[in-house]
Amino acid sequence: MIAFIVVTILALAALVFLLTTLRFQASAAGRLPGKKAPPFNLGAYLRWLGKHIRTIFSAAFFRRTWSIWNGWGEARYPGWLKWVFLVFAAAFAYLAASGLFFAVFIRRGLYGLPLLAHIASGGLFAVGLAAIMFLRARDYRFDVHPPTAGVSFAVPLFKTVSADVIRKALFWMFATLGLVQVSTALCSMLPVFTFNTQVALLMIHRWSALGLTLTALLFFDLALLGRPKTPEA
Amino acid sequence: MDRKTVTPRLVLVLAILASSAFALPASASTVKPKWAGSRALAVHRFPLKDETGQVIVPTETNPLPFAAGNSCAPCHCYKDIKRGRHFNASSPDAPAGRPGEPWIWLDERTGTQLPLSDRPWKGVFKPADLGLSDWDMTLLFGRHSPGGGFTEPAPEAETPGSRWSVSGKAEINCLGCHNASPAQNHSEWAKQILRENFRWAATAASGLGEVGGMASRLNPTWDIADGPNPDDSEWAVAPFVKYDRSLFDSKHQAKLDLAYPPKDSACLPCHSTAPAEAKKFEHEADVHTAAGIACASCHRNDISHDIIRGYEGEDKDNPALISGDFTCRACHLGREEQSKDAVLPGRMGAPYPYHYGIPEVHFERLACTVCHSGPLPAPEPVRVRTARANRLGIFGAADWSTDLPAVVEPVYLREKNGLLTPHRMMWPAFWGLADKDAVQPLRPAEVEAAAGDVLYPERAVTRILAALLNGPASSGTPVCILAGRLYGAHIDGGLDILDPGTEPVPAGTSFGVLEAGRFRALLPDFNPADADAAAEPEAAIQGILESLAATEARPGEPALFIKGFLYRLIDGALDKSEKKDRTGAGPDWVWINSDGALEPMVSEPVKDTVMSLTGTDKRLTEGQVARVLDLLARGGRSNPVYVSGGKLHRLDKRGRLETVAGQAAEPVAWPMAHEVRPARQALGWNGCTDCHSVASDFFFSGIKGQGPLQTKRVMSRTNASFMGVNNLYHRLFGLTYIGRPYLKLVLAAAAFLIAAVLLAALLGAIGRVSGLMEKRNRIP
Repeated sequence: MIAFIVVTILALAALVFLLTTLRFQASAAGRLPGKKAPPFNLGAYLRWLGKHIRTIFSAAFFRRTWSIWNGWGEARYPGWLKWVFLVFAAAFAYLAASGLFFAVFIRRGLYGLPLLAHIASGGLFAVGLAAIMFLRARDYRFDVHPPTAGVSFAVPLFKTVSADVIRKALFWMFATLGLVQVSTALCSMLPVFTFNTQVALLMIHRWSALGLTLTALLFFDLALLGRPKTPEA
Repeated sequence: MDRKTVTPRLVLVLAILASSAFALPASASTVKPKWAGSRALAVHRFPLKDETGQVIVPTETNPLPFAAGNSCAPCHCYKDIKRGRHFNASSPDAPAGRPGEPWIWLDERTGTQLPLSDRPWKGVFKPADLGLSDWDMTLLFGRHSPGGGFTEPAPEAETPGSRWSVSGKAEINCLGCHNASPAQNHSEWAKQILRENFRWAATAASGLGEVGGMASRLNPTWDIADGPNPDDSEWAVAPFVKYDRSLFDSKHQAKLDLAYPPKDSACLPCHSTAPAEAKKFEHEADVHTAAGIACASCHRNDISHDIIRGYEGEDKDNPALISGDFTCRACHLGREEQSKDAVLPGRMGAPYPYHYGIPEVHFERLACTVCHSGPLPAPEPVRVRTARANRLGIFGAADWSTDLPAVVEPVYLREKNGLLTPHRMMWPAFWGLADKDAVQPLRPAEVEAAAGDVLYPERAVTRILAALLNGPASSGTPVCILAGRLYGAHIDGGLDILDPGTEPVPAGTSFGVLEAGRFRALLPDFNPADADAAAEPEAAIQGILESLAATEARPGEPALFIKGFLYRLIDGALDKSEKKDRTGAGPDWVWINSDGALEPMVSEPVKDTVMSLTGTDKRLTEGQVARVLDLLARGGRSNPVYVSGGKLHRLDKRGRLETVAGQAAEPVAWPMAHEVRPARQALGWNGCTDCHSVASDFFFSGIKGQGPLQTKRVMSRTNASFMGVNNLYHRLFGLTYIGRPYLKLVLAAAAFLIAAVLLAALLGAIGRVSGLMEKRNRIP
C-alpha cells in the first residue's frame, strides 16, 4: 500500500510537471520575438504556474472548462448523446478524485458517503464507457488517418510519433484499463472469489485506476486542450 | 593474613556453597519446573496433608480437611499457581487484559446490581471502594470462585468482623478443575461456602469425604483446634470430615484421578451462558466443542496458570503468554503474516476460511466473532443468563439461580484494537449519592435500613396469608385475590401468581383458597340482612377473623365489611353492626386502627406494587423509588439517586421522580467469544444483506436498558450507535443493496460490450498485421 501511495504521488506529480512545463515553455516561446524556446527557468515556471492555479478559482475558468467539454461533446456526439459523454466524464472525474484521494490520504481507504457515490459513479462510468466504445471506437482505428496525422507530438520521448497515433493509443489504453476497472469492481461484488482474491482484485483495481487516471490526463491534455502552438508548429 | 588462616576459611565457604547446592532440590518449590518431555500424566497417589502440614489419616478420629497448598506443593509450586489468571485479580502486577465478566453484586430487595472487579475495567467498581472486604466477597461470590484470590487473603488483609479463624480460608481448589472423578461436585463447593466451611469446601466438593456442620453457626471464638462442640450436636455443630476410606490405600495415600488439561465439565459450572428463555435441548454447543475440542485445548496454561484467553492483542497485554498462536485468526488463517512464502496451517489444522465474496474491509474492521459468535442479531438482543451473574450450576432442592441481573448479547462495540466485537452487556442498578457526574453507591443494607417496609410491599399480603394458613385455609393454599388474579406466598416470603383452575375468580380484592388446584372463595355470597341465611357464613367469618387476629405486626383489629354490615370480634365473639356511612358492597377485609378508622388490609399502593412486580423480574416501582429517595433525603443524605436501566432517577424540587442520563448509569460490557457458530450459520453466509439492509438487525436492533425498576424510562439506543457508526449512512448503504443486483447486471453488460469492442479491434489489428483481412478483401 505504501508503494501505491508513493508511486501515485510521484507519477501524478511527474505527469503534471511534464505537461505544465511543456505549456509553460511553449507560452514563453510565444512571447519571444524570435519565437525560440528559451532555456527552462524554474522561477518563471513557478510564477506562471501560480498565476494559472489562481485562475482555477475564477468563474472564467469554469466557463472555459465547460466550453471545452461541451464543445468536445457536441462535436462528436449528436443530440442527447452529448450528455452520455458529459455524464461519463463527470463520473470518471469523481471516481478518480475520490478513489485516489482516499487511497493516498485516508488510511482506512474509501468509506462512507463518498464510497456510496463512488459505487453509483462506477455504474455511470461503465455504461458511459460502453456507449462511447460502441459509438466512437471506429474513430480511433489506426488505419484511418486524419489530415493532421503528420503533426508530431510535443512530448520529448514521442516526438517521432504522430499525435494522432498517441491519441488513439491512449484511447485504447483507457478502454482496456476501464474494462479492468469495471471487471474488478464487478468481480469483487460476486460471492465467488476468496478473501485473498478479493484483496488481489482490490489491488488490481487501485493500480489500474492510477493508470487510467494518468492516461486520461494525457488524453485530456492532448486531445481536448490540444497542443500549444510552438514556433516550429 | 597468613596462608594457614585462609585455607580453613576457604574450605568452610566452599562447604557452605556445596551444601547449598545439594539443598536446592529440597527447595524446588521456588524453582519454576521445566517440562521434561513426557506427555504421560503421572499417577497421583500421594498422602494428603492438612493445613498444619500433617498427613491425613482417614481412619483417625476427627481428621482435618486436606489443604491444597500443603498437599500439592511438593511437586507443584503453589506460589506460582496463585499468580494465575483465576487467582490474581487483586494483584497490582497482574495484566488486566481486555474486559471480562465482572462479579455482579446482586441484592434483589433493594434492586442493586453492581459490577465489581479489582481489575481496572471500564464501568466496574472496586470492591474495596464499596467497603467490601475479602470476607464479604467470599460470602457473595465464593460460590463460583476457584479458591485463592479473595477467598484466601493474606493475614494482614484480614478485616475486623470477618470470621476467617472459624471458617478457615478457601485455598485454591486444585481439584475443582483437575479432578476427573464424577464425584467432583461444584454444588457441594457452593453449599460449603454458604455455610462458611471455607477450609472444608474443597474436601467436600472433591468427594474425598463428607463434610458436616456449619462454621457459620459457631461462636466466633471457635478454632479448628477446639474440635467438635460437645455441647451441641444439633445446631452449632462444628464442621467435620468423614473421608471415604475406599479412596485411600493402606498407606493413607489418596488415589486421585486427575485430568490434565482439565475437562470441560470443570469449566462449565462457572463459565456457562445460555439464553434466558431457552430450553436445554434447544441449546447449540460451540462448534469447537461439537468437533471434540475442549476448552483447555485453546485456553491453555503452564504451571503459572496464566491462562490464554485467546483474543486479538492478548500477546501485547501479556507478553509472557504465547497467546498470539491461539486466536481465531492464528488457528484458522495459519501463519500467513509470519511466512510470506508459504501459508503454514494453524493449530490443529483448523479449516481455512475462504470467505467468498466478502470485501477486505470486513477483516480489517471486524473481529471474527462478529459474524461467528453468539446469537444472530435480532430486533432486540437476546437476554442470557451467565453462571456467575445468575448463580447457575448449583443444583439441589433450593433454586439458587436468579433472573437478575439482566445480561444481553450481542451488542457490538469497538475494542481498543479498533475491531468491532460482540459484547455482553448489563446495566448497573444501585442507590447512591450523586456528586456532580459521579455517584457513590450506597450499600444495600444502608438502603434497606432507611427504606423500611417500602421495600417489602408483599409483606402486607404474605402475613395475612400466613395467618389464614392456620385457620380456614389450612386444607389448601391461601391466596390473595387482586383484580381477578390469585397471589400465593412462596417459600422465600415473596408472592407468586397462581393458576385458579377453571373456577371463576372475583374481581375485587379478597382472599380465598386453592384446594387441589381449584379456587374456592373464603365466603359464599350471602345477604347479611337475612339472619337465617347468614348464620352459616357468619360462623366462617368468625373463624377467619380469629385467624387474622393472629396476623404478625397487624395494624389493627381485623374486620369484614359486607353489604352495609361490619363484622368484627369483640371479646372473642363475633359482632355484627350496620355501617351505613360506608359505601360499596364489599366484601372488604379491613383493619380497624387505633382511631377506629377502617383501613383496607391490602392498601392501594401495596396492591399496585404487588400487581406490577409479581411474576416479573422487576423489583421496584417508580412509586417505591420516589418514596425511598424521599426517605433517604429525610435521613440526611444529600442528592440521593437511584440508577437503573441506563438512567439516573432522582426527585425534582417538587418531590416528583425525574429521570436523567448520566455517566454512572452507563452500561458495562465485556467481549464475548462463545458460542461459536459454524460457517454456514455465520453472518454473511446468505450474502451481504445479512447485515446490509434498510432494516438490518445487525445495525438497527434496539437495545433498551434493563434493570430492576419497573419503568419505561430507560436508555434506548441502536446497535449502530454502540458501534460508533452513522445510523443514516447505514440505512442508505443498506438501501443500495436493493439496487445491487441490477448494478451487477449493468456492470456485467457494460464489461461485455467493452470487451467485445476491444476484442473486435484486437482481432482486426491482428488480421491486418497478418494480412488476412487485406487478403480476404482482395478476393474478387
